[in-house]
Amino acid sequence: MTQNELEKIEISTQPKRTNPLANVFDDLVRFCRSRSMFMLHYCTGCGAIELPPAMTSRFDMERLGIQPMVTPRQADILLITGYVSIKTLKRVILTYEQMGSPKYVIGICSCTVNGGMYWQSYATAKKLDEYLPVDLYIAGCMPRPEAVMEGMQQLMQKIKTGEADSWKKYYSHYDYYLGNQQQLFGNNWQTPTDIIGEAESYQLMGPQTLGEHTKILQQVQKPLEPLEMKL
Amino acid sequence: MNFLDGLLILSLLSVIVTGFAQKLRSAGWLSSVLLGLQCLLLMGMAGLAYGSPAVSSSFSVSVLGQPLHWQFNALSWFFALITLASALASSVYAAGAWGEDYRLQGGNPGLLQFALNLNVFAMLLLLASGDLLSLFVGWELVSWASLLMMVLAGGAAGRFGLRYIVYATAGAMAVMTGLVMIFQLTGSFQFADFAAIAPSLSNAQVVTFTLLFVFGFGVKMGLLPFHLWQADAYAETPGPGAAFLGAISSRMGLFAMLILVIQLIGLGRLINIEVPYSFFSLRDVLMWVAAFTIIFPTFTAMRQNDARLLLAWHGIGQGGYMLMGLLMVNPLGSAGGLMHVFNYASYQAVLFLVVTAVIYRTRTADLNQLGGLVTRMPLSFLMMLICIIGLAGIPPMNGFVSKWLIYRSLIVEGMPLLFVASVVGTLGTILSVYKLIHNTFLGQLRLEHEQIREVPWSMMIPMLILSAVVFITGFLPGIVLDWVASAQAALGIPVLEHTLGGVESPSGNLDMIWICSVLFGGFAVGALVFYSGNKSRRVHQLDNYAGGHFLTADDRYHYSNNFYAGLMHHIGHWYRGTFQWLESSLGSAISLLSAATQMLFNSFHPALFLLLAATLSLLFFAG
Repeated sequence: MTQNELEKIEISTQPKRTNPLANVFDDLVRFCRSRSMFMLHYCTGCGAIELPPAMTSRFDMERLGIQPMVTPRQADILLITGYVSIKTLKRVILTYEQMGSPKYVIGICSCTVNGGMYWQSYATAKKLDEYLPVDLYIAGCMPRPEAVMEGMQQLMQKIKTGEADSWKKYYSHYDYYLGNQQQLFGNNWQTPTDIIGEAESYQLMGPQTLGEHTKILQQVQKPLEPLEMKL
Repeated sequence: MNFLDGLLILSLLSVIVTGFAQKLRSAGWLSSVLLGLQCLLLMGMAGLAYGSPAVSSSFSVSVLGQPLHWQFNALSWFFALITLASALASSVYAAGAWGEDYRLQGGNPGLLQFALNLNVFAMLLLLASGDLLSLFVGWELVSWASLLMMVLAGGAAGRFGLRYIVYATAGAMAVMTGLVMIFQLTGSFQFADFAAIAPSLSNAQVVTFTLLFVFGFGVKMGLLPFHLWQADAYAETPGPGAAFLGAISSRMGLFAMLILVIQLIGLGRLINIEVPYSFFSLRDVLMWVAAFTIIFPTFTAMRQNDARLLLAWHGIGQGGYMLMGLLMVNPLGSAGGLMHVFNYASYQAVLFLVVTAVIYRTRTADLNQLGGLVTRMPLSFLMMLICIIGLAGIPPMNGFVSKWLIYRSLIVEGMPLLFVASVVGTLGTILSVYKLIHNTFLGQLRLEHEQIREVPWSMMIPMLILSAVVFITGFLPGIVLDWVASAQAALGIPVLEHTLGGVESPSGNLDMIWICSVLFGGFAVGALVFYSGNKSRRVHQLDNYAGGHFLTADDRYHYSNNFYAGLMHHIGHWYRGTFQWLESSLGSAISLLSAATQMLFNSFHPALFLLLAATLSLLFFAG
C-alpha cells in the first residue's frame, strides 16, 4: 500500500450520538481534552531550542493548558522537534506506543516533513508519517515560538471538533506502519507494547491491522507478560 | 485458686514443658496451645479492665522476713494482654513453615519457643509484682530471659546480646541501689509504705530516686543515651523472637518506671523540683529526654539499609512517645502514652513478621537487594502497608489515635517546642517507613525473585489477625481506651473521658468513626471514577519509560541506594555518631582503668593484696 492509498482511507469516525445529553457530554469531554494537554519531555534534533521560550514567561504555553510531562503514560502530545535518525526513531516509536490514548503527534521543523537538510543522509528517516501517524506539521527551520503556539492552537481546535484522531489510524493500519519500520530496522524489530492486543482491547481492529508484516512480528516476538498478582 | 494463680502456674508449666519438649517436631504447636490457654486465663480476668478490683495471688513467699506477693490490676492486665497476644502470634508464626525452615537452616525452633515462654513467664511475674522485691525479681528475670532470646541464634546476635547485658547489669545495679535506699527509709519493700513516705521525701531524695530508676529502667526502654544496644540486639534475633522483643520487651522498662516514678513518687513532685539556673523542672528534663529519644533513633532508622535494623531503631524512637505522653499530667497525654504501648506492639509485631516473611522467601533483608515484591507477595504488602500507616500515625489506623492524644495534650498543656519535636519525629517516621515499603515491595522486581510465592498460611494468619487489630482499634479506639482508662485509674492518675469512636472531653474531641467514614467515602468516589472509566491494561515492568531506552532485566531502575539523597545533603552532616563515640570512649576509659589495676596487681606479689583485703575486712567486721 502506498502513502497515497493510505491517505484515501477514511477512518470511520464515531457517528454523532442521537441522545442530545450524550452529545453535550462528548463535547464537554473534548473541550476538557483540548484544554489540558500534557506534552512529553522528549525532543529530537534542533527544534527543541524553540520550546523553552514557548513554555516560559514570554509566550507562556501554560495559559493554553499545555504543560510538560515527564512520563509517556500520562502525556497526550509527542513532539518531534527535528530530524529523526534511525536510532532515535526506534526510541520515538517505543515512546509513542507507551503513551495512553488519545495521543497526538506534532512534527516540528522541515526535517520531519521531508528530511529537510538531511535529505541525502543515509541514517535519517525522511518522512515521519511513514512510521507514525502525525496529526500536525509545523514547518520551518526552525519555526519560531509564535508558529509553535499557532500549531498548538490548531491542534486544540482539531481536538475540539473531534478531527484529531490519527492515533486510531496507528491501530487500524498497524501493518502499514510496521512494514515501514521493519524496512528500516530489520525483521527482528519489536517493542514491548502489544499493539494488536491493544487494538483488540480498544475495539480498533481494522482490515489493515493484521497483514504480512504483523505475521513476521508474531514469529519473532518475545512477549513480555505483565506480572500477575499471585497468592 | 483464682485466675492469677492459674495464669502464673500455667506459665511456669509452659516454660518447663517447652524446655523438655525442645526436640519434638510439634514443640511449636504445643507452645502455641499453652500460650493460647494463658490468653484464655487472662481473658478470665478481663473484668479488671472494666473496673473490677485488683486480683491477688493466693500464694506468697517470704525471703529473710520480707514477704513477696503478686497481684494483677488493670495496668498489669493491659500490659499482660499485649505480652501474651504478641507471644501467641510469634509462637504460631514460628510453629509452622517458618520453624521447619529455621530447623533446616541449622536453628533450633524448640529453643526459640522455650525462650518465648520463658520471656512470657518472666514478664507476667514482673507485671504481677505486688511489692518492690517481687518487682526486682521479675525485672532480673526479664533481663536474663530476653538475653536468652537474643543469643540463642549465636553469631552477631550473641555479640550484641552481651552488649545488652552490660547495660542491663548496670541498670539493675542502679535499681537495686534505689530499692536498698527505700528499704533503709521505710524498713519494708511494700508499695504502700513507700507511697506513704513519698510526700515527705526531700527534693534531693526525689531526684536521686528518679535518676536511679529512670536510668535503671530506661536502659531496657532504650532511653537516650542508653539506647545503643537495642537496635542491633533485636534485629539479629530470629524473626518471630525479634517481633516479640520488639513489640513488648522494652515496654517492661516503661511499666516499672510507671509504678515507681509516676505511681509511687508522683509527677507532682517532679514538676515542683526546679533544675538550678534554668527554667526547667525535673519533669521537663525527662520530657526532653523522651523527645530526643523520639528524634535521634528515628532519624537513625532512616539511614538503615537493613529492614530489621530500620524497624528496631523505630522501636526505640516510639518508646519516647510513650514516655512523653505518660509524663503529662493531662489525662489525654497519659492515655495516649498507654494506648501507644498497645498500638505500637500491634503494628511492630506485624512489621517484623512481614520482614521475616520477606527474608523467608528471599533470604535477605537488605533494602538494596529487594523491590517489586508486591506482585509476588500482595497480602504481605497489604499488611505492611496497614502497619506502616499505623507506625507513621496516619488515619485510619490505631497509631494515629495515640499520637493524636499525645499531640493534643502537648498543645493543651502549652508545650509548643516539645510538640514540634514530636512532629519532627513523626516526619522522620513517615520518611523511613516509606523507604521500607518502597525498597521492599514497590519498584522493580528482580530477576531472582520472579518465581517466589506468598508465604504459607501458618505465617500469614498471625499477621492477618494482628493487622486486623491495627485497623479495628483505629476505627473503634474506644475498645482500647476502656482498658487504658482503667489502667489510668489503677495508676491513680486522671482518667480520660472517651467514647467508642474516640475522645469527647473539654480539651479535645476526636471521632474516628466519622474520620474513617469520610476517608473511605473519599476512596469510594475515587474507586467509582476509576472503575467507571475505560478498562485499564496491565503492562510488564520492563515496558517502562526511561527516556526512550529499551529496558532489559539487567537494567536497575529501582532507586533504592542512598535514599533521600536530597534530604541527606542538608542534614547528613548532623549524623556524627556522638553516642557511639561516647560509648566507645567510655569503654576505652574502663579498659584503661582495668589494665592499670591489673598492672598494679601484678607488679607486687598478688598474695599481699589478698592479705591486705582479709585484714581490712576483719577489722571492719570486728570494729
